[in-house]
Amino acid sequence: MRTLAVSITSALILLIAPIAPLAATDGEISRIRCASTTSTQNSGLFDYILPIFEKRTGIKVDVVAVGTGAAIEIGKRGDADVVLVHAKEQELKALAEGFFVNRRDVMYNDFVVIGPPVDPAKIRGIKLASGALRKISETAQPFVSRGDRSGTHTKELAIWKTANIVPAGQDWYLEVGQGMEKTQRIADEKRAYTLTDRGTWLSTKDNLDMAVLLEGDPALFNQYGVMAVNPEKHPYVKYREAMEFVNWLVSKEGQETIASFKDKLENRLFTPNAK
Amino acid sequence: MGLNLTVSGIGKRYNEKPVLQGCSYVFDAGVYVLMGPNGSGKSTFLRICALLEPPDAGAVVYREAESALPKDAELMRRITLLLPKTGVFNTTVFRNVAYGLMIRRMEKDKIRSRVEMMLDFVHLAARKDQNALTLSSGETQRLGIARALAIEPEVLFLDEPTASVDEENRLIVESIILKMKQEKGPAIIMTTHDRAQAERLADRILMMKDGRVEELGKE
Amino acid sequence: MESIAQGFIQAFRLILHLDAELFGIILLSLKVSGLALMTATLFGIPFGSLIGLRKFPGRSLVISGLNTFMGLPPVVVGLFVYLILSRKGPMGFLGLLYTPSAMVIAQTILALPIVAALCHSAIVDVQPVIRQAARTLGATPLQVTATVIAEARYGILSAVIAAFGRVMAEVGAILIVGGNIAGYTRVMTTTIALETDKGNFELALALGIILLVISFGINTALHVFQRKGIRGVKQWG
Repeated sequence: MRTLAVSITSALILLIAPIAPLAATDGEISRIRCASTTSTQNSGLFDYILPIFEKRTGIKVDVVAVGTGAAIEIGKRGDADVVLVHAKEQELKALAEGFFVNRRDVMYNDFVVIGPPVDPAKIRGIKLASGALRKISETAQPFVSRGDRSGTHTKELAIWKTANIVPAGQDWYLEVGQGMEKTQRIADEKRAYTLTDRGTWLSTKDNLDMAVLLEGDPALFNQYGVMAVNPEKHPYVKYREAMEFVNWLVSKEGQETIASFKDKLENRLFTPNAK
Repeated sequence: MGLNLTVSGIGKRYNEKPVLQGCSYVFDAGVYVLMGPNGSGKSTFLRICALLEPPDAGAVVYREAESALPKDAELMRRITLLLPKTGVFNTTVFRNVAYGLMIRRMEKDKIRSRVEMMLDFVHLAARKDQNALTLSSGETQRLGIARALAIEPEVLFLDEPTASVDEENRLIVESIILKMKQEKGPAIIMTTHDRAQAERLADRILMMKDGRVEELGKE
Repeated sequence: MESIAQGFIQAFRLILHLDAELFGIILLSLKVSGLALMTATLFGIPFGSLIGLRKFPGRSLVISGLNTFMGLPPVVVGLFVYLILSRKGPMGFLGLLYTPSAMVIAQTILALPIVAALCHSAIVDVQPVIRQAARTLGATPLQVTATVIAEARYGILSAVIAAFGRVMAEVGAILIVGGNIAGYTRVMTTTIALETDKGNFELALALGIILLVISFGINTALHVFQRKGIRGVKQWG
């Protein structure tokens, strides 16, 4: 019936109108997908370095930001061309299994333990991260864990192990399974402690009522690495472009670019250390 | 004269209960009024004659001159039944009346003039652009008549056309029927409970009794 | 921490100075949800009409199935589409994961049962007397069907509106299959989630307000059209 046709058509026109100009997508630019971590993404590093890389090579890098564990998994499945993560043991394991090739150290920053400025567990002044965590567990103050197999989570679990404590299942131990920002936010709301990478902390601390309570322990060193997905496992990955990205990151220009990246408070967030 | 309708030996059961048993009659031009108690099968008879339902037994045959016409879509377009519930379409009065003409793909100008004529005929011209669902029950009944007449049926079945309308609308509907009768319009086969109304309108009065149609003399 | 009112003021300031990036995010939202809705409408209306008009074996099973799928959690759809589209999945060769197309596919799956199920009930709600009236006026079976669908048009439109509301507000599925890639698959809802995490409440709030205004605008436009028809009036007789 005409009435129906008119009604459907008008409904569709309403919907298509704003869409039509966007219907075309870029076919020329070559783009690769980088699976990386929320901490890297949200620090603003990619927003800073990727346009420079794109200008240099014409390659656009799409970043899917998840936890390190998930990022490695995405690479293993062949759903990304390159991964940039920070959990060296997990990286080396996946490399040994043949899922990735050409792993390179890129840069580092460090982890810090943050918590309520009043510090109810009294960890301020403690030198070792494992000692601070032990104090938190002894005083049963809430601790928020990423709980998502991310690099930060992996690091945190290593420290608990050093401290000889099994936190899982304790009332004060909250595994949230979220990204770094959300985890910080939950910790803030719950007046809890958490472990965070410094990059994310520096970019979010203005919005949080928290303070760094422990830093400087060598155990909190946070190494970032990049590696390409093995083209023998997944022939369709853009290996050549992925390697261009890897090589640029560890090149003089790439390393200098990373070093020159500062947050809005002029803090340097990552220290390049490619060998 | 247009169509003539021969009904022979119609039987119909609902849930094993016989409603019509060997109904036979020959309808020609004129106004036929079918009476009978509730549940006697008047509506069923009308629906079967209007080809909306098949009978269990017997036959409904429309003839033109001497040749029998098959019950095809073509024939369905030459007869119509006005249901006790009009079945108003959710659109304007105009488009409701135009419906039968639109599905026959009639030209727009012709539709317009025919519909306007029909709306004048049933005193609804002023309501033309109103949504038909806002009409009163009497107006709805008149709309139904206009919609049915618009397609110029050769046989018009009316199932209780005045059962649910007020006095004023009853008079209007009756005058419309009488006018059609005067103008030698379609053959009209209608049902009613109102004996006096039957007397006023009918050429012949029929009674539905024990599943059969019987003619009452009308002199 | 500023007050909520302060946040709103900041949010409106951001809306007034709408930058290209934000504008791109809004357009992508409309593009993804609009395309998903179009596809769902294209398939959902005929499908819903079919099960509303025809009786066939297994029909009630199909209807309960549709009603169940109406409430499908978006993350489940996201996971399902992810596994299908992943390079290791059956459709992996298409290379669609983490593209806007994947988001359209996921949202189409979310919208389709809503359009079909609500379209079905709109058609079933058309009174039987409409079908009979069409027949008495000489409509062919096809014309009877068209008439019934036309009578259900306002209900069908409601189905489309409901589906639009669902896909525009949805975040779980598109986050999983789109990956929230900046400038590529980042839409309003995923940006709101991200910016909330980052503590950029003003930006999240600004996008939330824009999302509301767009939904409100489209709903109003469709309801103005809908009000031209009359609903829920009983048939006389």
